[in-house]
Amino acid sequence: MILEVAHLKKNFGSFVAVDDLSFSVKAGEVYGFLGQNGAGKSTTIRMLLSLITPTSGSIQLFGKSINQYREEILNQVGAVVEKPDLYKYLSGYENLHLFAKMSGKLISKAEIINTLALVGLEKRCHDPVRVYSQGMKQRLGIAVALVHDPEFIILDEPTNGLDPQGIADIRNLILMLSKERRKTVLVSSHLLSEIEQIADSMLIINKGRKIVEGKVNELLNPNNVRLEIVVDDHLLAKKIIESTLWSKGLKHAPDGKIIVETEAAAVGQLNKLLVDNKLNVSSLRSMNSLEAYFLSLTSDNEV
Amino acid sequence: MKFSTVVYLELYKIFRKPRTYIAFGAIAAIVGLIQLGFYADGKNYMQFGMQSFTDSFDINGNIMNGYLMAYIILQLMLVHVPLLISLVAGDMISGEAAQGTLRVLLTKPISRAMLISGKFAASFIYTIALLIWMAIWALGISMLVFGVDDMLILKSDLVTQIVKTDILWRYAAAFGFAALAMTTVAAMSFFLSLFAENSLGPIMATMSIIIVFTILNTLDLPIFENVKPFLFTSHMLGWKGFFDVQINENNEQIVGSIENLPAVMVSAGILLLHILGFLLASVLVFRKKDVLS
Repeated sequence: MILEVAHLKKNFGSFVAVDDLSFSVKAGEVYGFLGQNGAGKSTTIRMLLSLITPTSGSIQLFGKSINQYREEILNQVGAVVEKPDLYKYLSGYENLHLFAKMSGKLISKAEIINTLALVGLEKRCHDPVRVYSQGMKQRLGIAVALVHDPEFIILDEPTNGLDPQGIADIRNLILMLSKERRKTVLVSSHLLSEIEQIADSMLIINKGRKIVEGKVNELLNPNNVRLEIVVDDHLLAKKIIESTLWSKGLKHAPDGKIIVETEAAAVGQLNKLLVDNKLNVSSLRSMNSLEAYFLSLTSDNEV
Repeated sequence: MKFSTVVYLELYKIFRKPRTYIAFGAIAAIVGLIQLGFYADGKNYMQFGMQSFTDSFDINGNIMNGYLMAYIILQLMLVHVPLLISLVAGDMISGEAAQGTLRVLLTKPISRAMLISGKFAASFIYTIALLIWMAIWALGISMLVFGVDDMLILKSDLVTQIVKTDILWRYAAAFGFAALAMTTVAAMSFFLSLFAENSLGPIMATMSIIIVFTILNTLDLPIFENVKPFLFTSHMLGWKGFFDVQINENNEQIVGSIENLPAVMVSAGILLLHILGFLLASVLVFRKKDVLS
């Protein structure tokens, strides 16, 4: 195990930000850390990096306690926490050079340029950071995390503020780091579809507590889908569905839509059932599986 | 990581920031203006100041020389330099917190104690650089422009004459003492910057504390008398002690003498204790600080 967290808790006064959180990350995997805004993801990541002290619980990285072996552990960890804040009056190269020196390793100019090339910033590396776009700052932040070639990379909301191309670039970079360079990556996000595309395992938290943890492909059974159905008479449609085996998967949506969880192979049969009963089916679509999964686990309201 | 690397990186950041040069520019501008004023109209000013003595004494030579100019400038400036010191020292932690770079720094494998010590060492070097800059302008340029001669220091009830061959070492000692006084200000400002997430707070707090303590020093009320010896502001002007000389039975200056060396040393010791206290407190607070910025 690269990371083992046990019964982690953080209180800010009477507010419980993280509550009895336990999870583990295996070597070589991309681990998705999911939660809505304010769920406690960044607080947890700050505790992993010893930026803040846990109220209770333990954190072990590379088999050692972060409290006792902080410097030794951080030597093998690269991280971007929340937004990638850097020295705006310095150039991208100077920022990277400065943080490379802070890592305590001897890092050559060529290695710094290579890291900048990895995130696509080698041509703009001598521009001051103050003129960088949000996407460029995000990529430079990742370069800062990677420059000392760490084994474990923690990326907190790395796609925040990026355009679709930027999001795809970061996704490809994470996959490359995992598959080609055999790095272990913990990536937090509230962009659920992103995690679904890159993560091997995932943890979902809500209000500081663990909701579920496991392999993505096990948690999200591709044989099951969650359908959103729009028909001209949703009351009749519900009545028809309730009289069938699909009644167990029927969820109530407040806006007249019908949500049904079903096997993927049965979608055509369900559509045929509605059409045969003279219902005009104007839309029948599979909701994003992870998003639906996340909502079904964390939403206070019934879907 | 080596401590020297941390100091180097902190100095690199300090001297790449435009605000760092505000202090150097301000000192050059203020000293230059004072020198210009004295160069243009200094003789009348000196005649007015010496009025009560010229009736009894025959004063010859270059009274308004570079040594006296430096003394006047130091008296005027060393009260205001703390603001310039706190511009950088008060920004060392709070500025990083405001930018968000503090948390990036602390994700690197460097101990918090080393980081804070390195930052303080860089603040100290900046303070020394500022005082050297001030010495160049206040003493060096003044000596070039106004020349050198014996130095007359006017006090309310006496005039002290220091021979010109006995002055330079006194300035070296005075600037050394000033370095101690200004480092105390830097240490306090540095400590205050631990509790803020923008640099304005520590700068304002530093100046407020200095103003309040200075007012307490000037109030001759019994209630404050017991507190005064412990206020660092009471000792900041201890550099003047190097210009108080002993006199022999013929009322002549004893070359190389200091009237009350123990008092100067006590002041220096109290300032040093303040510096060590603020540094120790900074390390202790920073080691336990939750970085939420």
